[in-house]
Amino acid sequence: MSTEIKELKFTTFKTNIKYSVINKRVHNIDGLAKVTGRATYTFDVKLPNMLYGKILRSPHPHARIVNIDASKALAMPGVIAVATGKDTPGVKQGIWRRYPELCDEQILPLEKVRYIGEPVAAVAAVTEEIAEKALELIDVEYEVLPPVFQPLDAIRKDAPIIHEGVERNINVTRHIEWGDVDDAFAEAEKDGYIREDWFRTSSQHHMCMETRAAVSSFTPDGKLTVYCSTQSPYYMQALLAGVLDMREGDIRVIAHYVGGGFGGKFELDAAIFCSAVLSKKTFRPVKIVFTREEDFIASKRRTPMHYYIRTAMKKDGTFLAREVRVFTNGGAYTGMGATALYLTGFFCSFPYKWRGYRYDGYRVYTNTLPSTAMRGFGAPQAMFCSEQQIEWMCADLGLDPYEVRRKNAHTECYEVPGQAYIQSCGMTQCIDKIEAWAKSKGNLGPNRAIGVSAAGFMSGGIFNWFDTPYSFSSAVVVINYDGKVDLYVGCQEIGQGSNTTMAIICAETLGVKIEDINVYSGDTAHSPADLGAWGSRQTLMAGNAVKMAAEDAKRQLLEFAYAEMGLNIVYDLDIKDRWVHVIARPERGMKYEDLVKRAIRGKDGQRIIGRGYYTPHRKGMISPAYSYMMQAVDAEIDPETGKITLHEVMTAHDCGQPINPLGLIGQLEGAASMALGFGYLEDQPMDEGKILNPNLVDYKVIRATEMPKTDMIEIDTYEAEGPYGAKEAGEGLTNPTAAALGNAIFHALGLQMKELPITSEKIVNALKEKKEKQGK
Amino acid sequence: MIHDFHYLKPGTLKEALAMYAEHEDCKVICGGQSLLIVMRQGMIAPENLLDIKHLNELNYIKFDEKDGLRLGATTTHRAIEKSEVIKKYYPALVAMENKLASIQVRNWGTIGGNLAHADPAGDPAPLLIALKANIKVGSAKGERVMPLDEFFVDYFEIAMEKGELVLEVHVPVTQPKTGIAYQKFNYLTNDMGIVGVAASVTLNGGNTCKDARVVLGNAGPTPRRSKKAEEFLIGKALNDDVFAEAGKIASEDCEPVADIHASEDFRRHVIGVLTKRMLKKAFEEAQGK
Amino acid sequence: MEKRLITLNVNGIDYELYINPKTLLVEAIRDHIGLTGTKRGCDTVSCGACTVMIDDMSVKSCSILAVQAEGKKITTVEGLEKNGELSPIQKAFLDNGSYQCGFCTPGMLMSASAFLKENEGKDVTEEEIREGIEGNICRCTGYNSIVRAIESVVKGNYKEG
Repeated sequence: MSTEIKELKFTTFKTNIKYSVINKRVHNIDGLAKVTGRATYTFDVKLPNMLYGKILRSPHPHARIVNIDASKALAMPGVIAVATGKDTPGVKQGIWRRYPELCDEQILPLEKVRYIGEPVAAVAAVTEEIAEKALELIDVEYEVLPPVFQPLDAIRKDAPIIHEGVERNINVTRHIEWGDVDDAFAEAEKDGYIREDWFRTSSQHHMCMETRAAVSSFTPDGKLTVYCSTQSPYYMQALLAGVLDMREGDIRVIAHYVGGGFGGKFELDAAIFCSAVLSKKTFRPVKIVFTREEDFIASKRRTPMHYYIRTAMKKDGTFLAREVRVFTNGGAYTGMGATALYLTGFFCSFPYKWRGYRYDGYRVYTNTLPSTAMRGFGAPQAMFCSEQQIEWMCADLGLDPYEVRRKNAHTECYEVPGQAYIQSCGMTQCIDKIEAWAKSKGNLGPNRAIGVSAAGFMSGGIFNWFDTPYSFSSAVVVINYDGKVDLYVGCQEIGQGSNTTMAIICAETLGVKIEDINVYSGDTAHSPADLGAWGSRQTLMAGNAVKMAAEDAKRQLLEFAYAEMGLNIVYDLDIKDRWVHVIARPERGMKYEDLVKRAIRGKDGQRIIGRGYYTPHRKGMISPAYSYMMQAVDAEIDPETGKITLHEVMTAHDCGQPINPLGLIGQLEGAASMALGFGYLEDQPMDEGKILNPNLVDYKVIRATEMPKTDMIEIDTYEAEGPYGAKEAGEGLTNPTAAALGNAIFHALGLQMKELPITSEKIVNALKEKKEKQGK
Repeated sequence: MIHDFHYLKPGTLKEALAMYAEHEDCKVICGGQSLLIVMRQGMIAPENLLDIKHLNELNYIKFDEKDGLRLGATTTHRAIEKSEVIKKYYPALVAMENKLASIQVRNWGTIGGNLAHADPAGDPAPLLIALKANIKVGSAKGERVMPLDEFFVDYFEIAMEKGELVLEVHVPVTQPKTGIAYQKFNYLTNDMGIVGVAASVTLNGGNTCKDARVVLGNAGPTPRRSKKAEEFLIGKALNDDVFAEAGKIASEDCEPVADIHASEDFRRHVIGVLTKRMLKKAFEEAQGK
Repeated sequence: MEKRLITLNVNGIDYELYINPKTLLVEAIRDHIGLTGTKRGCDTVSCGACTVMIDDMSVKSCSILAVQAEGKKITTVEGLEKNGELSPIQKAFLDNGSYQCGFCTPGMLMSASAFLKENEGKDVTEEEIREGIEGNICRCTGYNSIVRAIESVVKGNYKEG
């Protein structure tokens, strides 16, 4: 039976252009500030007359606020103001602005608290210590309500209602379906193989080195300036305008240096909101920095999921259909969790062709810390379940797992029905390379094996849930009289190197050097609106905007060059390495600096200004382009203690044209450390809604001594939708690792680990169970 | 937030002991690597803080082939780790120190402070007890010495009288044909142990065990010897079966407590494995001597 | 509130401070002296973002009272460069992309510097380098680029400026 999948009619192409800036090892343009201690984070900001804020948090997972009496706190010398929900417009906010019912969070709630750690009041005082002492003097009277913590408990009929009117605490549902799923399963029932498994994935904390922090300064003219540690200044500006009942334009958000994000810093947080509210009350700057403990208990987390997958394949390994049901622990509010619910459902199909696919996801409210986006955005959870199950099915049938993956993998110019249009795709090359690498390793000895996982990820999201009226990315290029370029972008540098990537794209396009570019970002006063750093979107989306802006400016320059040089109409001009020249005869030309001077004179003294913008159109539901990868984890397990030793992580990676090679390696290695942590180390165990490890003694993250060797094989593809053929290279690398580790454990010890994190104790228990079964 | 305190900075040990005797509600800070954490959490809020970190009188490593090793209380972990003489005569101590917390903590934290803090998961205590170490404490009234395994009373509680400071750790010369080994189980190499086991084995000429110590870390309120395992070993001809059996005995002869990092069962299980392994390692080392 | 007058020598300069004895060294450096390169990332002596050198040894300045550092030579990240010339390890960090968000970088540089000082002229293994920075958490880089930077300085690829 032939599949109904439509092969599209266009093809991708490669270019043989020799780049002069792209894919060269360069210092990040903000590197000097960072290696000398000059980089100023929100954590370091100190303004004249500044107050310090502290937040009082709920000790109850679910309670009605009966009364808040702050009179004793206010009487304390040094305390300037106390804010509660009554001091705010009481707006229920959320980042899914397109759906008002998903805007469900009042930071400083008026009626109810829904998780332990939820802010109930905030104090501004002349010192941090006084503010902290004042918290103890605020009397909050609660009426404690029955709580519920697990999604499978919260959907029961008799469960406590967390948000009034939300039946069975179901916050969002998501259905994805294509092809005839039941027909495909029926075929497999007759002459194929079906397997079903339940999995449970755990929580993970972003653990940014800089905790949530903000300094807000409201002035009597009604203007607000907010320094904050955020992934999206534009979102903060727009969200603050909503909750403070202000004009967007009267709010200036500044985030020059941000100490990590990983998906945790693009919603409005309590540091930003409470400092703004306190500053409005006091007309003085107010600084709030979360302690590490506050960051752990009250700054959201990776979405834990209960996963059910039923997969049908032919006996030769051809995939037929898959059915997936997911219940996520949403915690108290929606946040970005609605997106994670969608993406986990889509990526559980990835990167394979299915005749039929059906996904039903349920995001369930519970009285726990809200869950949200975190690097990979639902895909690492999906891969952990999907890629292990595929490996087990191959073992069940005696099939070669590389061959099976290759047989079913996405290919160039492929449509995921109703969901995605894939142009470039290097998936099969990734599989080939990793297979060859793994086989070259030979026999690794007992209790040690290589596990693999395929994966891919989006280059930014398409769906406009934020309901922005602006282009998703924008850029402005200004060429000055001396030829130096000012690049204004709204994309946000959070350490991933976006300022450098944008400077590279701008310099390549204009034909100048990277040191000719000054990037201005992280300030809504001069940066054009841009959705910011999330969903691995900036290289493609902001990169396209920058390329367009630079091309616009370049075109204006070249107009003067054409006029100046009086060329035959069939000749083209270009600029490379500051040399403006006839492409066909590169020796004929003029200096870029000279051209700029004449062009500016020709424009009556105006600097050359180029504008660019990008919003994806007609690219399906998910993303304009997708990265692909195959990763191998070489791990050894002590069968007596269950201790895991990680030897190596090798990744074959298709990110289109790499732009910034040092940045790419950094993303690969950083993602591996975070994703390995997700695999065997990181979790946030709770007791009655209380997180039990809200500190870095008990929350373990991988250190240099645990980090294995890493390397990468680049797969050469060209993405027509991306700037210079580039696509995402940031989050996606987080996706395969936990699954590959699970598969390594499967091949080393024959264990099928269905629960994250795979701790030593779980391994020892599974081995014991396996022995007992074999004994019978 | 650290509560305000009155800071006492003595010039000499004598002055320190006098100050300590004189001040009520007084805590001693040396490296402060653990103390400042609990002070910051508000769990301890002493009125007075006596700083002995700078007392060089207590900062020494002395070794004598007859007397053994003497470590002054303010000796840093890093000094022990880097000491050539300790490396030669007590290599297990160097190996243990090398995996004790981070370099930064070892650079500032002290052996006296570590033992006085009495965290049952601390690394030095089990190994030092296996090495039959004694601890010298003193006050303005005088000094006394006790075996280190009698020093620990309960979680974070030690057998010291009011006004007493830890002054010195004394490690006697190890008997001939003795091997010593220590290992902890954890996820991060230099993290606190989920459990730890120190073992010493002294052989009686051949492969017969003349003396043994099995000391368990984080397996109860204090670092503790498994005397049952020790009794089982002494007099036995040692082999893998005996080590395995001793491991089993040790895993039952302890009181580990479940927490988020591991259940009680798993801790007992790993204690059994580590006991077996450390005994074997100590045995092999003893054989080689 | 009790206060003490102390002198701290930071990056070769004596600073006179009048402070509550409970002031931590990191607070003295950041809030009183105003050198904000040194960061804080936790309250449990875990993360190493506050690492400085005292007498060329790396320490975590969040777990030392400022009064305890009197009379010692304190070096912070601001003390690594000389007259605008970066130290070898700073250059190596740039060349190897050994930082991303940069928040852990000052502490990481101090651990790396102390490690290099301690092992000057010695052969070191990769494992020893990893142990040398084990006390510092970096959530962005996965450490390997930092290890490569230290390795390249050990190999003599950078000369003191």
